[in-house]
Amino acid sequence: MSASEVLASLLLLTGGLFYLAGTVGLLRFPDVYSRLHALTKADNLGLLLVCSGLSLLAGTWRAAALLATIWLLGLLAATVSAHLIARHARAHDAAGDKR
Amino acid sequence: MATDAENGGQHANMAATKKQRWTWAMQILVVLMLLWLLLNGTDRFLAGLLAASAGAGLGAWLVSGQPHPWKPHRLLWFAGFFLWESLKGGVDVAWRAIHPKLRIEPCFSTHRIELPAGQPRTLMVATVSLLPGTLSADLDEAGRDLEVHALMPEAIESVERLENWVAWLFSIDS
Repeated sequence: MSASEVLASLLLLTGGLFYLAGTVGLLRFPDVYSRLHALTKADNLGLLLVCSGLSLLAGTWRAAALLATIWLLGLLAATVSAHLIARHARAHDAAGDKR
Repeated sequence: MATDAENGGQHANMAATKKQRWTWAMQILVVLMLLWLLLNGTDRFLAGLLAASAGAGLGAWLVSGQPHPWKPHRLLWFAGFFLWESLKGGVDVAWRAIHPKLRIEPCFSTHRIELPAGQPRTLMVATVSLLPGTLSADLDEAGRDLEVHALMPEAIESVERLENWVAWLFSIDS
Protein backbone atom coordinates (compact mmCIF):
# COMPACT_ATOMS: atom_id res chain seq x y z
CA MET A 1 0.00 0.00 0.00
CA SER A 2 1.22 3.46 -0.80
CA ALA A 3 1.41 6.17 1.84
CA SER A 4 -1.73 7.90 0.55
CA GLU A 5 -3.66 4.63 0.68
CA VAL A 6 -2.63 4.08 4.28
CA LEU A 7 -3.67 7.63 5.15
CA ALA A 8 -6.97 7.19 3.31
CA SER A 9 -7.70 3.96 5.18
CA LEU A 10 -6.98 5.70 8.48
CA LEU A 11 -9.32 8.55 7.57
CA LEU A 12 -12.09 6.13 6.55
CA LEU A 13 -11.70 4.10 9.75
CA THR A 14 -11.69 7.19 11.97
CA GLY A 15 -14.74 8.48 10.13
CA GLY A 16 -16.51 5.21 10.82
CA LEU A 17 -15.60 5.47 14.50
CA PHE A 18 -17.23 8.90 14.70
CA TYR A 19 -20.39 7.51 13.12
CA LEU A 20 -20.30 4.77 15.75
CA ALA A 21 -19.82 7.31 18.56
CA GLY A 22 -22.72 9.37 17.19
CA THR A 23 -24.95 6.31 17.27
CA VAL A 24 -23.84 5.46 20.80
CA GLY A 25 -24.77 9.02 21.75
CA LEU A 26 -28.15 8.62 20.07
CA LEU A 27 -28.80 5.57 22.24
CA ARG A 28 -27.35 6.83 25.51
CA PHE A 29 -28.25 10.52 25.70
CA PRO A 30 -31.33 11.23 27.81
CA ASP A 31 -33.50 13.54 25.66
CA VAL A 32 -34.28 14.61 22.10
CA TYR A 33 -32.00 17.66 22.15
CA SER A 34 -28.93 15.90 23.46
CA ARG A 35 -29.42 13.14 20.91
CA LEU A 36 -29.50 15.73 18.15
CA HIS A 37 -26.13 17.00 19.37
CA ALA A 38 -24.67 13.53 18.90
CA LEU A 39 -26.18 13.10 15.44
CA THR A 40 -25.29 16.49 13.99
CA LYS A 41 -21.76 16.90 15.26
CA ALA A 42 -20.31 13.40 15.39
CA ASP A 43 -21.84 12.33 12.08
CA ASN A 44 -20.72 15.48 10.29
CA LEU A 45 -17.16 14.94 11.40
CA GLY A 46 -17.51 11.29 10.34
CA LEU A 47 -18.73 12.36 6.91
CA LEU A 48 -15.88 14.87 6.60
CA LEU A 49 -13.30 12.19 7.38
CA VAL A 50 -14.89 9.65 5.03
CA CYS A 51 -15.04 12.26 2.23
CA SER A 52 -11.40 13.21 2.84
CA GLY A 53 -10.36 9.56 2.68
CA LEU A 54 -12.29 8.99 -0.54
CA SER A 55 -10.79 12.13 -2.11
CA LEU A 56 -7.32 10.81 -1.36
CA LEU A 57 -8.18 7.46 -2.96
CA ALA A 58 -9.77 9.10 -6.02
CA GLY A 59 -6.74 11.35 -6.38
CA THR A 60 -8.32 13.99 -8.62
CA TRP A 61 -9.24 17.57 -7.76
CA ARG A 62 -12.64 17.23 -9.34
CA ALA A 63 -13.54 14.22 -7.20
CA ALA A 64 -12.31 16.11 -4.13
CA ALA A 65 -14.45 19.14 -5.01
CA LEU A 66 -17.50 16.91 -5.57
CA LEU A 67 -16.96 15.18 -2.24
CA ALA A 68 -16.58 18.57 -0.55
CA THR A 69 -19.90 19.60 -2.08
CA ILE A 70 -21.47 16.39 -0.77
CA TRP A 71 -20.13 17.22 2.71
CA LEU A 72 -21.57 20.74 2.56
CA LEU A 73 -24.97 19.41 1.45
CA GLY A 74 -24.81 16.84 4.26
CA LEU A 75 -24.10 19.66 6.72
CA LEU A 76 -27.02 21.65 5.38
CA ALA A 77 -29.39 18.68 5.68
CA ALA A 78 -28.17 17.88 9.20
CA THR A 79 -28.43 21.40 10.56
CA VAL A 80 -31.84 22.11 9.03
CA SER A 81 -33.39 18.81 10.14
CA ALA A 82 -31.87 19.10 13.63
CA HIS A 83 -33.32 22.58 14.00
CA LEU A 84 -36.76 21.46 12.80
CA ILE A 85 -36.85 18.41 15.09
CA ALA A 86 -35.71 20.50 18.07
CA ARG A 87 -38.31 23.17 17.33
CA HIS A 88 -41.03 20.56 17.06
CA ALA A 89 -39.96 19.04 20.39
CA ARG A 90 -39.97 22.51 21.98
CA ALA A 91 -43.49 23.18 20.78
CA HIS A 92 -44.64 19.88 22.26
CA ASP A 93 -42.85 20.53 25.56
CA ALA A 94 -44.47 23.95 25.78
CA ALA A 95 -47.88 22.35 25.22
CA GLY A 96 -47.24 20.13 28.24
CA ASP A 97 -46.82 16.96 26.22
CA LYS A 98 -44.49 14.85 28.36
CA ARG A 99 -42.08 12.60 26.52
CA MET B 1 -28.91 48.43 7.67
CA ALA B 2 -29.74 50.00 11.03
CA THR B 3 -33.42 50.29 10.20
CA ASP B 4 -33.36 46.71 9.01
CA ALA B 5 -32.03 45.58 12.38
CA GLU B 6 -34.63 47.65 14.22
CA ASN B 7 -37.48 46.14 12.26
CA GLY B 8 -36.06 42.81 13.18
CA GLY B 9 -38.50 40.78 11.12
CA GLN B 10 -37.38 38.21 8.61
CA HIS B 11 -39.64 39.71 6.00
CA ALA B 12 -39.46 43.32 7.12
CA ASN B 13 -36.75 44.26 4.67
CA MET B 14 -36.60 47.32 2.53
CA ALA B 15 -37.03 46.52 -1.14
CA ALA B 16 -33.71 45.84 -2.77
CA THR B 17 -32.38 48.53 -5.07
CA LYS B 18 -31.46 47.86 -8.68
CA LYS B 19 -27.75 47.75 -7.92
CA GLN B 20 -28.31 45.31 -5.06
CA ARG B 21 -30.32 43.05 -7.34
CA TRP B 22 -27.42 42.98 -9.78
CA THR B 23 -25.07 42.02 -6.95
CA TRP B 24 -27.40 39.18 -5.98
CA ALA B 25 -27.65 38.02 -9.58
CA MET B 26 -23.87 37.94 -9.98
CA GLN B 27 -23.41 36.05 -6.71
CA ILE B 28 -26.00 33.43 -7.63
CA LEU B 29 -24.59 33.15 -11.16
CA VAL B 30 -21.09 32.41 -9.85
CA VAL B 31 -22.33 29.76 -7.41
CA LEU B 32 -24.59 28.04 -9.96
CA MET B 33 -21.91 28.13 -12.65
CA LEU B 34 -19.35 26.57 -10.31
CA LEU B 35 -21.84 23.82 -9.47
CA TRP B 36 -22.48 23.19 -13.15
CA LEU B 37 -18.78 22.96 -13.96
CA LEU B 38 -18.28 20.63 -11.03
CA LEU B 39 -21.07 18.26 -11.99
CA ASN B 40 -20.81 18.42 -15.76
CA GLY B 41 -17.32 19.55 -16.71
CA THR B 42 -16.83 22.06 -19.50
CA ASP B 43 -18.90 20.40 -22.24
CA ARG B 44 -22.27 22.05 -22.90
CA PHE B 45 -20.88 25.17 -21.25
CA LEU B 46 -23.48 27.35 -22.99
CA ALA B 47 -26.42 25.32 -21.69
CA GLY B 48 -25.00 25.68 -18.19
CA LEU B 49 -24.52 29.41 -18.61
CA LEU B 50 -28.12 29.71 -19.81
CA ALA B 51 -29.52 27.72 -16.89
CA ALA B 52 -27.35 29.57 -14.37
CA SER B 53 -28.38 32.95 -15.80
CA ALA B 54 -32.05 31.96 -15.58
CA GLY B 55 -31.55 30.93 -11.93
CA ALA B 56 -29.67 34.14 -11.16
CA GLY B 57 -32.33 36.29 -12.81
CA LEU B 58 -35.14 34.56 -10.95
CA GLY B 59 -33.23 34.79 -7.66
CA ALA B 60 -32.57 38.51 -8.11
CA TRP B 61 -36.20 39.11 -9.03
CA LEU B 62 -37.60 37.28 -5.98
CA VAL B 63 -34.96 38.37 -3.48
CA SER B 64 -36.25 39.90 -0.26
CA GLY B 65 -33.10 40.71 1.69
CA GLN B 66 -30.01 42.73 1.01
CA PRO B 67 -26.89 41.23 -0.53
CA HIS B 68 -23.60 41.51 1.30
CA PRO B 69 -20.30 42.09 -0.44
CA TRP B 70 -18.11 39.03 -0.87
CA LYS B 71 -14.65 38.98 0.58
CA PRO B 72 -13.08 35.69 -0.53
CA HIS B 73 -10.16 35.84 1.91
CA ARG B 74 -12.60 36.29 4.80
CA LEU B 75 -14.62 33.33 3.53
CA LEU B 76 -11.44 31.24 3.63
CA TRP B 77 -10.69 32.27 7.21
CA PHE B 78 -14.28 31.54 8.19
CA ALA B 79 -14.04 28.11 6.51
CA GLY B 80 -10.89 27.42 8.53
CA PHE B 81 -12.58 28.46 11.76
CA PHE B 82 -15.60 26.34 10.86
CA LEU B 83 -13.52 23.25 10.03
CA TRP B 84 -11.59 23.52 13.29
CA GLU B 85 -14.79 23.96 15.30
CA SER B 86 -16.44 20.99 13.51
CA LEU B 87 -13.45 18.88 14.49
CA LYS B 88 -13.65 20.03 18.11
CA GLY B 89 -17.43 19.59 18.17
CA GLY B 90 -17.30 16.05 16.78
CA VAL B 91 -14.53 14.91 19.12
CA ASP B 92 -16.22 16.57 22.10
CA VAL B 93 -19.63 14.99 21.59
CA ALA B 94 -18.15 11.58 20.66
CA TRP B 95 -16.09 11.64 23.86
CA ARG B 96 -19.10 12.54 25.97
CA ALA B 97 -21.21 9.83 24.32
CA ILE B 98 -18.77 6.99 24.97
CA HIS B 99 -17.61 8.19 28.40
CA PRO B 100 -18.92 5.74 31.05
CA LYS B 101 -20.17 8.61 33.23
CA LEU B 102 -21.93 10.40 30.35
CA ARG B 103 -20.63 13.85 31.22
CA ILE B 104 -23.46 16.07 30.05
CA GLU B 105 -25.46 18.75 31.77
CA PRO B 106 -28.06 19.83 29.19
CA CYS B 107 -29.56 23.31 29.52
CA PHE B 108 -31.33 25.98 27.49
CA SER B 109 -30.34 29.59 26.99
CA THR B 110 -31.77 32.44 24.92
CA HIS B 111 -29.45 34.41 22.71
CA ARG B 112 -30.50 37.70 21.15
CA ILE B 113 -29.15 37.88 17.62
CA GLU B 114 -27.76 41.29 16.72
CA LEU B 115 -27.02 40.39 13.10
CA PRO B 116 -29.25 41.81 10.35
CA ALA B 117 -31.87 39.51 8.83
CA GLY B 118 -31.04 37.64 5.65
CA GLN B 119 -27.80 35.87 4.88
CA PRO B 120 -25.95 36.73 8.12
CA ARG B 121 -28.72 35.58 10.43
CA THR B 122 -29.42 32.46 8.39
CA LEU B 123 -25.76 31.47 8.40
CA MET B 124 -25.57 32.09 12.14
CA VAL B 125 -28.62 29.94 12.98
CA ALA B 126 -27.40 27.19 10.65
CA THR B 127 -23.88 27.02 12.08
CA VAL B 128 -24.81 27.19 15.77
CA SER B 129 -25.84 23.52 15.60
CA LEU B 130 -22.47 22.54 14.20
CA LEU B 131 -20.42 24.25 16.91
CA PRO B 132 -19.19 22.24 19.88
CA GLY B 133 -21.91 21.73 22.47
CA THR B 134 -24.61 24.03 21.06
CA LEU B 135 -27.79 23.41 19.07
CA SER B 136 -30.23 25.96 17.69
CA ALA B 137 -33.53 24.74 19.09
CA ASP B 138 -35.98 27.50 18.29
CA LEU B 139 -36.24 30.95 16.80
CA ASP B 140 -39.00 33.38 17.74
CA GLU B 141 -41.43 34.83 15.19
CA ALA B 142 -39.36 37.95 14.62
CA GLY B 143 -36.26 35.84 14.04
CA ARG B 144 -34.24 37.56 16.76
CA ASP B 145 -34.30 35.45 19.91
CA LEU B 146 -32.52 32.19 19.34
CA GLU B 147 -33.20 29.39 21.80
CA VAL B 148 -29.91 27.55 22.18
CA HIS B 149 -29.63 24.09 23.70
CA ALA B 150 -26.24 23.30 25.21
CA LEU B 151 -24.75 20.01 26.31
CA MET B 152 -22.69 21.88 28.90
CA PRO B 153 -23.49 25.36 30.31
CA GLU B 154 -20.05 26.72 29.32
CA ALA B 155 -20.71 25.94 25.64
CA ILE B 156 -23.14 28.89 25.48
CA GLU B 157 -20.24 31.34 25.32
CA SER B 158 -19.21 30.09 21.88
CA VAL B 159 -22.48 31.46 20.38
CA GLU B 160 -21.25 35.01 20.99
CA ARG B 161 -17.94 34.19 19.34
CA LEU B 162 -19.71 32.72 16.30
CA GLU B 163 -21.81 35.87 15.98
CA ASN B 164 -18.65 37.99 15.87
CA TRP B 165 -17.19 35.73 13.20
CA VAL B 166 -20.33 35.97 11.04
CA ALA B 167 -20.42 39.77 11.44
CA TRP B 168 -16.78 39.91 10.35
CA LEU B 169 -17.43 37.62 7.38
CA PHE B 170 -20.20 39.90 6.08
CA SER B 171 -18.31 43.10 7.02
CA ILE B 172 -21.02 44.24 9.44
CA ASP B 173 -20.00 46.90 11.95
CA SER B 174 -21.23 46.15 15.43
